[in-house]
Amino acid sequence: MKRKIGLLLVLTLTMVTVLSACGGSGGNSDSGGKTKVRFASWDNAEDLDSQQELVDKFNVSQDEIEVTLEAYGDDYDTKISAGMGSGDAPDVMYMWNYPSYYEALEPLDSYIENEGAEYKDNFYEALWAYNQIDEDIYGIPVGFTTHALFYNKDIFAEAGVTEPTDDWTWDDLQAAAKTISEKIEGVTGFSYQLQADPYDFEMYLWSNNTAYVDEAGNVADNLNSAESVEAFSVFQNIQKEGAAITTEGGGTDEFRSGKTAMYIYGAWSVSTLDGDGVNYGIVDIPAFADSGREAVSILSSSGLAMSKDSKNKEAAWEFIKYWTGEEMNKERIGYELSALKSVVESEGVMEDEKSAPFYSMLEQSTGYTPASFLVDDWGSLADDLELALERINNPTTLEDPQTVLDEVAGAH
Amino acid sequence: MKRRKELKKASPYIFISPWIIGFIVFTAGPLILSLIMSFYDWPVTSEATFTGLGNYVKMFTEDAQFWKSLKLTLKYAAIFVPLNLGIALFLAMLITQPVRGVKIYRTIFYIPAVISSVATAIIWGWILNGDYGVLNYLLSLIGIEGPNWLVDPAWALMAIVLTSAFGVGTMMLIFYTDIKNIPIDLYEAASLDGANSVKQFFSITLPIITPTILFNVITSIINAFQQLTLVMLLTGGGPLKSTYFYGMYTYDNAFKHHKLGYASANAWVMFVIILILTAFIFRSSSAWVFYEAEVKGQKTGKRRKNK
Repeated sequence: MKRKIGLLLVLTLTMVTVLSACGGSGGNSDSGGKTKVRFASWDNAEDLDSQQELVDKFNVSQDEIEVTLEAYGDDYDTKISAGMGSGDAPDVMYMWNYPSYYEALEPLDSYIENEGAEYKDNFYEALWAYNQIDEDIYGIPVGFTTHALFYNKDIFAEAGVTEPTDDWTWDDLQAAAKTISEKIEGVTGFSYQLQADPYDFEMYLWSNNTAYVDEAGNVADNLNSAESVEAFSVFQNIQKEGAAITTEGGGTDEFRSGKTAMYIYGAWSVSTLDGDGVNYGIVDIPAFADSGREAVSILSSSGLAMSKDSKNKEAAWEFIKYWTGEEMNKERIGYELSALKSVVESEGVMEDEKSAPFYSMLEQSTGYTPASFLVDDWGSLADDLELALERINNPTTLEDPQTVLDEVAGAH
Repeated sequence: MKRRKELKKASPYIFISPWIIGFIVFTAGPLILSLIMSFYDWPVTSEATFTGLGNYVKMFTEDAQFWKSLKLTLKYAAIFVPLNLGIALFLAMLITQPVRGVKIYRTIFYIPAVISSVATAIIWGWILNGDYGVLNYLLSLIGIEGPNWLVDPAWALMAIVLTSAFGVGTMMLIFYTDIKNIPIDLYEAASLDGANSVKQFFSITLPIITPTILFNVITSIINAFQQLTLVMLLTGGGPLKSTYFYGMYTYDNAFKHHKLGYASANAWVMFVIILILTAFIFRSSSAWVFYEAEVKGQKTGKRRKNK
């Protein structure tokens, strides 16, 4: 009798353990009839907190849809890939790497058309090119930033150098950086990222009338053209003069702490720098003297995309509209630039001296398509370009750009 | 009554069923699935296509990075394993000495092994910083200008070796317990015969702990080949791919280039390599490992060194 009870107990315990392990994540069952939409974001810390508040606001404002915010943080790509691989991707997700992921995304053209022409026109035209593959649109622009030159007014005043203007060339920048580095102890004139993203770096080639590839996707004679070599060399030269340092991150930390006088970055650091009380200014990126044109900037645009396997596409679309709508755009001013013309007008964003340079860079940058959209095997080309940038800019190697680029062009 | 007998027979299986289910679901199942995946071209976002041995052929013939990463990992293992063992043995010998406060030293030596690899990577990232790092500062005090550990491709590998030596505590502890178990009369007899401590170490301690050395060598090699967390967090495979270990290469193939089938093939090749190395070491172990129990049991020459 005792044995039987004992055995029964063991059996029950075993079953409970096993079943509780399986219980975990699973049921997508509706609670109270609301459609559930999963929304994945790549932000961290304070940005994530404000996003959670906005998601809560949406949930409270209506009764049919409940959105859960999934914070993927730095492992965003890994988690999204894993989700797509197992057919379990979130319904709505932040997206920028369309070439890699578009096959698992839902084309949104029909949804956009249903909203009427005004809806589409309200977004800046340049942004659509960054959110589509061939003719299909896969994401709705959430926000964007171009890149511009940040400079520290106090350091410039201390060194007695005239502040940068929109007409500057790289020679002007190099001269100013050199003077500052020499005059002020412990301060370097310019900083740039050591492991730069090749996707971003292409803007310097565009500014010099070339690109990684031509329209057909050929690398040879484009990546290693003289203009391209010049674009790669300009950074190395400033470093060789002792007027620039390479940074691990974008350069904001060094800029905030007053170690560098200038760096090129997007609008992401504006609120951070304001919070620190740094006395800084923003101007256009310098132009290449021989290019005969103004500098071009890459558009770091993020969009909201929908999973092809989503079971609640209509609900997901409602949420996408909300998140990319006017109200949300206004909330995000100070972190990203608004993608909607109406918001820019109503909030007077163009008049703000901290945002205007980004919009002026935007105007100079329409009509360029990044190589990632033109090349089939961008992954492997990007890898080689990343390595090439490192070889050229690593302070211990400083290889000759022409040799390195010829090598990369030869391999593709 | 037959019922009771059946239940009695079944009860062991019921007891271990949670573990078996866990093993099948979390270990054996994924293992077999990854083997199957390695025969497919399996991109994350679209359909998988069967390619047979295509992945393996591509790996060995077309992919230069495969060979580079493999060589790099082998180089790392070749430096790391002897170094790790040496340090562990040395520290173990230190804490067997009857010194005052030896228990505190034991704790101090062991603590780094308990720290998570993420925290270790962050700490060492700061220590190894070329401009502000503590290591270069200490070196400068004795007149050496330390290299830029994490930026200079010539030194990054040594930086990884240095950082991974941080986890030497576990091996040290295993050595320590083994050394402590050596009967003290052996040492007494030896010192009566006039052997000094160095001779005692090489003639008594070392032979007796060879089984533990075998265990530690094998675990060390397995860990060295699978090294991923430290590399990913400290150098990201850089600079200039000088620390692009095999584990990092597999991870990038899977999650950066979205080639799950290819990455599975990578993983299985590594599994086979480690298997072969381990088997080889086991084979050779009969030549240098000394098992006390076997000597007591048999008189025949199985334990005699190869002449």
